[in-house]
Amino acid sequence: MWSPFSYLVVNLARFIRPNEVTFSGVNSTLPMLACLLAKRAYDFDFTYLNVAGGVDPTPSHVPISSSDPVLAEGSTSIFDNEDFYDLCQRGGMDLCFLGAAQIDAAGQTNVSCIGDWHHPKVRLPGGGGGAVMLPTARRSVTWRTEHSRRTLVEHLDFVTASGGMHGVVTPIAVLVHDGQRLRLASRHPEVTVDEVLARTGFALDTGDVRPTVPPTEREAAALRELDPDGGFERDAGVSLR
Amino acid sequence: MSKLVPLAELAGRIADGDSVALGGSFLHRGPFAVVRELVRAGRRDLEIVKQSPGYDLDLLCRAGRVRRVRAGIVALEGNFGLAPWYRKAIESGAVELEEHACATLTAGLRAAAFGVPFQPVGGVHGSALAELNGWVALPDPYGSGESTWVIPKIRPDVAVIHVNEATEDGDARVFGTSHWDHIMTRAAAKVLVVAERVVPAEQFRARPELTLVPGFLVDAVAEVPRGAWPGSCWPDYPVDYDGVRDYLVDSADGFAAHLARGPETDRR
Repeated sequence: MWSPFSYLVVNLARFIRPNEVTFSGVNSTLPMLACLLAKRAYDFDFTYLNVAGGVDPTPSHVPISSSDPVLAEGSTSIFDNEDFYDLCQRGGMDLCFLGAAQIDAAGQTNVSCIGDWHHPKVRLPGGGGGAVMLPTARRSVTWRTEHSRRTLVEHLDFVTASGGMHGVVTPIAVLVHDGQRLRLASRHPEVTVDEVLARTGFALDTGDVRPTVPPTEREAAALRELDPDGGFERDAGVSLR
Repeated sequence: MSKLVPLAELAGRIADGDSVALGGSFLHRGPFAVVRELVRAGRRDLEIVKQSPGYDLDLLCRAGRVRRVRAGIVALEGNFGLAPWYRKAIESGAVELEEHACATLTAGLRAAAFGVPFQPVGGVHGSALAELNGWVALPDPYGSGESTWVIPKIRPDVAVIHVNEATEDGDARVFGTSHWDHIMTRAAAKVLVVAERVVPAEQFRARPELTLVPGFLVDAVAEVPRGAWPGSCWPDYPVDYDGVRDYLVDSADGFAAHLARGPETDRR
């Protein structure tokens, strides 16, 4: 039912709520697909903004780059970078998809470096939207194509952005913030709770955790439509283990 | 008076050691012909200012022309991931980094555009970037009890943008999103414009509200068709992903060959 790829995209899309303003940014192919999927698979209205300035766009094709100007095609206006950042800061962004290299139990993120900031083992892309959007968006959701103790960590190497992720989607689990910390909301049906716990670097409250509800026909059809030849799935290169 | 100059002359208005704001975002509508020309001209010790640089900053780091970077997020994007030569330059300490969130960099540019020493920005609370950069949070002087982070002024010596159309007087307009070009051109001491096309001023007079930068703010304009290659300039052309792939081949010959493929070399 689920592929690791469809699990990520569809579960990101399921965070989108009716009549809200949702945003996808740079370096964000999976959230871009999730927003486009939600427009096709769900009956409710929502406003989809993206970093190409698009406002509810109808792109002629799905671009490889999630900041490609084709993502503004069909828009009746251009809502540029300054505009969507200002909107977020004044409290008008309901759901922001934001990248993260490391995430801690509080939902804080590191996108800056592995190792010491001044002498990094790996220099990562950096601040981006996080430090301003994570504390000011009403909810933020992130994703990792790998569920491991390297990415879901007890201690971040650097706190790039605080404020707390509302949701995290990995190929094996969906985590949701309960106001204090992230907890396990559902798990991939082929993965046990114990495996999720073993692959998570911080303690997770599991409670009564069910397998994630399988993709609906409309969700699956929308994803096929967005990725007819499986190019995005191949590029994402995501696996269960 | 015409401000139209050849690309080499336009690039010549950027000096060694200058702080240079580059327009566009990632692989889209960046002033990439100028960046390659700066390498050819031997420019050095540059400070690069851009919320979301990628190919441009990576190329300048690869050529060893960067002293300092003030940026929000650096990546090649479009499946290419991290910017490899930028990454090496930071990890080795060869280049100094002032890491921002995109919106804090914008706030610094806004301070310059507003003519004030600093500018408030929302968010930032809890981010280690604040301590790292020595940013300060000020209490609301009007008594709300809230505190707001303020970012010091960032005033580049020069902003360089790539646009779809310009007049020979330097008026410039873009199609699609303007990325951060608007604030960059208001914050910098000097503005340079590279255009896909130079068109008669009558076309701008017919729709003046579409003009992003009025000519009186612009120092010089150069016409370089396909100058944003290997990036896109919507709707004129998309990203040339093979061109980016070629750029990433790790050899001195490969780099020289990539520079030689720049569309701006056609007009010499």
